Amino acid sequence: MTRGSRRSLHPESIARIHRLELRARAVVEGVLAGLHKSPYKGQSVEFLQHREYVRGDDLRRVDWKVWGRQDRYYVKEFEEETNLRLTLLVDGSTSMDYAGGPTAAPPRPTKYDCAATLAASLAWLALSHGDAVGCGVFDDRLRTHVPARTKRSQLANVCDVLEAPRNAGPGDFSRVLLTAAETLPRRGMVIVVSDLLGDRDGIFKGLHLLRTRGHDLAVVQVMDDDELDFPFEGPTRFEGLELPAHVACNPRGLRDGYLAAVQAFLAEIRRRSAALRCDYALVRTGEPLDLALVRFLSRRASMAV
Amino acid sequence: MPTFDFAPLVWWGLPLAAAPVLIHLINLLRQRRVKWAAMEFLLASQRKYRTRVMLRQLLLLALRTAAVLGLVLALAGPRWRAAAGGLLGTATTAHLVLLDDSCSMGDRTGGERMEPVPEAAAGDTRPATAFDRGRRVVERIAADLAAGSGSQQLTVGLSSQFAVAAGDRGGLRLALPRQPVSPATVQAVRDALGDTAESAGSAGPREAIAAVARELSGESAGGSAEPRVLWMVGDFRSRDWLGSAEPAATLRQLAADGVTLRFVDCAADSPPAGNLTIERLEVIGGVPAAGVLLPVEVEVRNDGGGPARDVLVELREDGAGRPGVRIDEVPAGGVASGRFDVRFAAAGSHTLEAGLPADTLPADNVRRAVVDVVDRVEVLIIDGAAAGPTSGDGFYVATALAPGVGAATGLRPRVEPPAALATADLRRFDCLWLLDIERLDPAAVTAVEAYVRGGGGVVFFCGPKTRAELINGMLHRGGEGLFPVPLAGAVDLLPAVVVGTPVPDVVVEDHPVVAVLAGQRNPLLSAVRIDRFWAVERGHDPAASGVRRLLSLRTGQPLAVEKPYGDGLVVAVLTTAAPTWNNWARGNPSWVVVMLELESHLARLRRRAETLMVGDPVTVRLEQGVDEGDVDFLVPPDGDLVRQTASRAASGVPAAAAIQAPAPAPQPLEARLPAAVVPGLYEARWRRLDGTERQRSIAVNVDPAEGRLDRAGRERLDRSLSGVRFRYERAEEVAADGGGIAGASLAVPLLLAVAGLLLVEQLVACAAGYHPVAPRSSAA
Repeated sequence: MTRGSRRSLHPESIARIHRLELRARAVVEGVLAGLHKSPYKGQSVEFLQHREYVRGDDLRRVDWKVWGRQDRYYVKEFEEETNLRLTLLVDGSTSMDYAGGPTAAPPRPTKYDCAATLAASLAWLALSHGDAVGCGVFDDRLRTHVPARTKRSQLANVCDVLEAPRNAGPGDFSRVLLTAAETLPRRGMVIVVSDLLGDRDGIFKGLHLLRTRGHDLAVVQVMDDDELDFPFEGPTRFEGLELPAHVACNPRGLRDGYLAAVQAFLAEIRRRSAALRCDYALVRTGEPLDLALVRFLSRRASMAV
Repeated sequence: MPTFDFAPLVWWGLPLAAAPVLIHLINLLRQRRVKWAAMEFLLASQRKYRTRVMLRQLLLLALRTAAVLGLVLALAGPRWRAAAGGLLGTATTAHLVLLDDSCSMGDRTGGERMEPVPEAAAGDTRPATAFDRGRRVVERIAADLAAGSGSQQLTVGLSSQFAVAAGDRGGLRLALPRQPVSPATVQAVRDALGDTAESAGSAGPREAIAAVARELSGESAGGSAEPRVLWMVGDFRSRDWLGSAEPAATLRQLAADGVTLRFVDCAADSPPAGNLTIERLEVIGGVPAAGVLLPVEVEVRNDGGGPARDVLVELREDGAGRPGVRIDEVPAGGVASGRFDVRFAAAGSHTLEAGLPADTLPADNVRRAVVDVVDRVEVLIIDGAAAGPTSGDGFYVATALAPGVGAATGLRPRVEPPAALATADLRRFDCLWLLDIERLDPAAVTAVEAYVRGGGGVVFFCGPKTRAELINGMLHRGGEGLFPVPLAGAVDLLPAVVVGTPVPDVVVEDHPVVAVLAGQRNPLLSAVRIDRFWAVERGHDPAASGVRRLLSLRTGQPLAVEKPYGDGLVVAVLTTAAPTWNNWARGNPSWVVVMLELESHLARLRRRAETLMVGDPVTVRLEQGVDEGDVDFLVPPDGDLVRQTASRAASGVPAAAAIQAPAPAPQPLEARLPAAVVPGLYEARWRRLDGTERQRSIAVNVDPAEGRLDRAGRERLDRSLSGVRFRYERAEEVAADGGGIAGASLAVPLLLAVAGLLLVEQLVACAAGYHPVAPRSSAA
């Protein structure tokens, strides 16, 4: 493990997740160690069915015993056991650099640090189960990317991608997710880790495209405690990290309106995620990451049963 | 139209109203900067709440500014003069007008004539006095109050009324008792003050202020919260207001109690044209006996700006005119005196009156004196030697005091042995002479000491029989007794070594008794030879113990010394009266002169005419078992009869207020006229139990200090009343000044409003999120 991956991975969190099993949903093709069922059919040890030969079928799959008895060409189909192809898309836009106000105690990591740690943890888990893991960091486009692989060294590659120097700009989900839908070669699982601050229509348009391509989707939304609680007091000037705007105000005067807007935003995210049959989890930067991971994986496990 | 009164403090405090705005601006500069990701929600909230937040901030700013303004205004003690002020519940304002009617208010400086008033007699065009102006000011105040709005109550009192009632609340009779102000009040004030004039008394503002302070502090203690205004309408003379901390302290307390002080100066602007005052009219010597010539001195003070020349003092004796006294010049601010002699043929009370021509203050131009004349004044001589009717100390002293028919001194000496001291009623005697006393029993010493303490005079002569143990042990007692010096022993005065001019044995000191012998070389005194005398104890310093020398020996040792004892005087001559140890009484005329002067000097305290001023009580002391209890007082100017029944004399009666002030007799009774209101001759008549009638005249004069017309003025009042907040106005400035009348106090309502504003401010600030609160629920 590289020095960078050690910083991103939390051994305590991984130890606790080890007692749980990552179960993908039944609709995802491929099987990881007999637990994941693949939507693809091919040679394997477990027979599935016969079907008539069509031109183009591999002659090695023709069942000659059936041809000898019935003089008709049938090919044998087997249920193929295959690895999960997990793709992690981590938001690296400017808004992910928020790390709590000046009075935050104890000091919290940035949302990006939190997202990267989550992504690395998931990658470790997937790799430990023999799944293929790929990763990309994006803002307005996919900045760095590593294709899905199953080799053990892939974790280092993922961590390198996550820790690569960023020249963050504003996020553009629509463009990035479209790119991902076109470039991901096979159906698999896509987990988007982001604060989802941006064009929500673009976000869900991209997710919808991924869904139509047969990907299993999950969205992990990372929000800072300040963004959810808005605990500021005293005269404060808020300057936008992505938006070129500022607000000078007494925060207590705007708190109610802010929290209402945030609640509406989160409700919309939940509602539209559910409509896409997309897993959704909200992670606060101030809470322990292992708990967040357990909650996320438990939720997926319960949905898989 | 409602108007408001504010203290100048409000102008200094108004800029404080900008403090909330400044704090707001400073807070804007001190804003914390936060790089924020979720701006879209913040912008949405701001779009939604922009108006509400702005309104709350403006409301907060307005509330805080209003609170500061309210506090400043409350501290400035505003008053609201409008009918609506009554809605505050404290709109009734009590006005107490204190009109100074002391004698100095009769000052006619200014020269303007009286304005015609309905009540004035036709042709009344006398020059207006300060009191006239004060009376008009009071009427104007009443008119302003009646014309104004709000509930007002008015009380008008004269300073003499407050002074008389000082300490006697039940006796307070005011010119206009407290009453609600209405249009009829103006006429009521006119009626109350129409017949009044300045009094002849000296009851100035000091006594009246003290009485008013007691009155008002009583109201404060009673929980009265009504606004109060004290109007001081007077002439504000320097003698009343400067140099005394008492009025300032009292007024400071009144101001601290919330009383608004307003001074209206009624004295004329122009300086007094010149005022002469008869300061003193007094018999200055002699024996007040029938047929004896008495020297009288009249003293005139000039309070004008320039010297008064050729001043004629008119005189009256027992009501009849007599040639006056002309004083060549009375310097400005100074005094000058003139002398004349009177001789009363018969015993009894005789009167003298001196008068000056009319000037700006006529009241102090007349002064009266009463001289109580007896047939003969008795003098008791105790002769320790008792040598015989034509020799011995007693003979020489008695002969000097009463030389014979050809030289009437008015004295009747009575020579007695020492034993007579224990039984004699010493109060009958004008003076005591104790000559070469060998011994005195303690009762006699006590009687003599009581006599001297009561104002009597005693003369000791020492001689061969005198014993130092008696003098030092019983009479001197280390300075506690009445004998002036301790004696060491009798010694001879050694003859002087004559070289050139002979040196006289006796040296005259600076003392009024021997003043006639002082000055140039006196052959009569040079002829006096002292052979033997009593020396004073070595080391004793007579001057250190308050002893004054009359005569000394050429050796520097004292020969005659004087010591005050109680209210009386004691003189000790340390040699014999008879020509035993000296030759003074043997044919030397200076002996007679000095003895008569000595007798007059010692008896002057008993003969001093009582000096009663207007306002003093007139008291006659009676002897229980001798006099009947009822005394008829004939009160000037019309001789009204006031009968008073004598009662037990109160302790602590001022000696100066007593007509007859001998040593206190057992169970004294006194008949008392509470206060002399007008100057003049008062007469007391009563009967004795044996049926004989007694009569005594008492002169009551205007306090000559009232003639000092120097005004304090605004600047000196400011200095004298440092720390007292008052408003000073000239009499003519008060006219129609409605703003000078206090209305409902807004201080308490303003403070309550400030408290309310602060409460609302806290609520708004809490609602606007300016107060830290416990963490609340979050969005997720």
